[in-house]
Amino acid sequence: MIEAVGLSKRYGDKTAVDDVSFTVQPGKVTGFLGPNGAGKSTTMRMIVGLDRPTSGRVLVNGKPYARHKAPLREVGALLDAKAVHTKRSAYNHLRAMAATHGISANRVNEVIDLTGLTSVAKKRVGGFSLGMGQRLGIASALLGDPSTVILDEPVNGLDPEGVLWVRHMARELAAEGRTVFLSSHLMSEMAQTADHLIVIGRGRIIADAPIAEIIAGQKKVRVLVRTDSPRDLLEALAGPGVTGVEKETGLLEITGAQPRRIAEAALDRQILVYELTPLQVSLEDAYMELTRDDVEYRSQDRPQELAAAGTASGKGK
Amino acid sequence: MSTATTSKNPPESAPADPTGSGVSFLRVLKSEWIKVTTVPSTVILLAVTVLVMVGLAAGAAWGTVQLANEAADRATQSAPSAGATAEAAPTAVPGAAVPTAVPTEGAGVPTDGAAGDSADDSPGGPPAASSLVREVPSSGVLFGQLLIASLAVVLVASEWGTGMIRSTFSAVPKRTPALLAKNLIIAVVSFIVGAGAAFISFLVARPILGSADLSLSLGDDGVLASILNTGTFLALLAVFSMGIGTLLRNTAGGVVTAIGVIFVLPLVATILQNLGDWISDAARFLPSNAGAQLVMAGTTAEGDLTQLQGGLVLGAWAAVLLITSIVVTKKRDV
Repeated sequence: MIEAVGLSKRYGDKTAVDDVSFTVQPGKVTGFLGPNGAGKSTTMRMIVGLDRPTSGRVLVNGKPYARHKAPLREVGALLDAKAVHTKRSAYNHLRAMAATHGISANRVNEVIDLTGLTSVAKKRVGGFSLGMGQRLGIASALLGDPSTVILDEPVNGLDPEGVLWVRHMARELAAEGRTVFLSSHLMSEMAQTADHLIVIGRGRIIADAPIAEIIAGQKKVRVLVRTDSPRDLLEALAGPGVTGVEKETGLLEITGAQPRRIAEAALDRQILVYELTPLQVSLEDAYMELTRDDVEYRSQDRPQELAAAGTASGKGK
Repeated sequence: MSTATTSKNPPESAPADPTGSGVSFLRVLKSEWIKVTTVPSTVILLAVTVLVMVGLAAGAAWGTVQLANEAADRATQSAPSAGATAEAAPTAVPGAAVPTAVPTEGAGVPTDGAAGDSADDSPGGPPAASSLVREVPSSGVLFGQLLIASLAVVLVASEWGTGMIRSTFSAVPKRTPALLAKNLIIAVVSFIVGAGAAFISFLVARPILGSADLSLSLGDDGVLASILNTGTFLALLAVFSMGIGTLLRNTAGGVVTAIGVIFVLPLVATILQNLGDWISDAARFLPSNAGAQLVMAGTTAEGDLTQLQGGLVLGAWAAVLLITSIVVTKKRDV
């Protein structure tokens, strides 16, 4: 369980994390999604006490991380694949980490096996590939068998098999009742792993909702319509969840109405329509749009409400 | 520490860890010890330090023998008048006795006591048990301090360089125990390396000195203290240097700064000493100059710090750097 309240971090003039509040619940995988530089890593570093918040606070299992007597048994974090001395072997790195908590050599060997590092465990970490470094980082995170697991971009540099392994592991950890907090800048990755999604952009939370809800929202149809009387058509379609934007003269992008309904409405009102193209909207597109414009963040809290600007005729869901 | 360290809702499938429990200083100490011993270059550097220190001391012993032989030759060739030996010895001392030393007080080598002392020895006979001879075992400290200071900086700054510090401070988020453990380990290791190298130097130097009938024993005035204090000097200097490395968080910058303070500042003070008495007065309190008094085995020259004072001054330097580095590290982001 992670609880952030009014968490902010400023570096000089730059605000990396801006008054962020969220709760990460146990028993599910919570995705932390945002473009590079959105404040994901900074937030995660503040959770484990490496960075001090400028204001606000964050608790893990009810206490600030540093107050725990056995922090590695509370929270395991993969923050940065390169948090290892390059001249030390993976085995010795884990042994040194384990020693701080009196964690047994058995457990060290266990996480080495678990992360598939057995064959390279005695080699210097400096020679590791990005993927092996990630695996070692995950091994460190699991060392204390923690109830909360934080993974910053865990699939970075992993091969397809490794990506599957991380997904599977995250799901399994959550199924065991642990809190799993996973960051990524890839929406597609999140769609396959997370139960709940927290979206961050320029240091602010844009969305905080179950992933099913977000995906459902994204499944709204978008249709490109070419007509000579766009305003009349939008009027005819007016209703909850239907929005429209006039992209250029005579070209409408309508969200929330099936093509058939648009055609029927046009027929009803004797409006000439000479193009009717259903659009596939990917999560990726929505996410890109969501995180592109800073202004959007303040008025929106759901990605599916994106298209509200312009000649909307039925804002809301 | 025995309760409440496992999670509130321990996951069912989580394997039980029989050793249990959380962070303690002893455990952090063990972790830091594992870190020191598992980076090969650290171990190699320590071995090299001992070797070089012993080698330097052997050279110093040999130089002292040469000096004694020259003095003896002169004594037999010229008329055996009472002051000849005494006059010859002091002029030849600095260069011959410590061949690699920069001939300044500031370089951390106990050259200054030698000149005064051998002149006091009884004329005619070999200058047995002069402070020059008694300080042979610790003469490797000149190079030892360079290596130990660098090692202390590297040990801590490389954690920032590689990102390891994030792992360290994730495991020990209070930070102070980790830094204290690091400092304690480098201090103890440096003490053992310094005192050990000086003792080996003593064993190596004895037969060399014996070839010129110069005797050296642990019972001689100040010899044992000088050997032990070689360790004390290096231990305090290591803590001082580790403080610099912790504050700068950069290996190259830290090494340059530490070497600058230890080696270059005393030289600068020597160069500028004619500008005013206060410069050489102040220079006595530089870490390496104060520390050099620790390994002295002779009487203190007029105006110099005593052995105890030198130790206290270097100890104060180390304490200030240690405390500052901990306070600053606790506040800063990692």
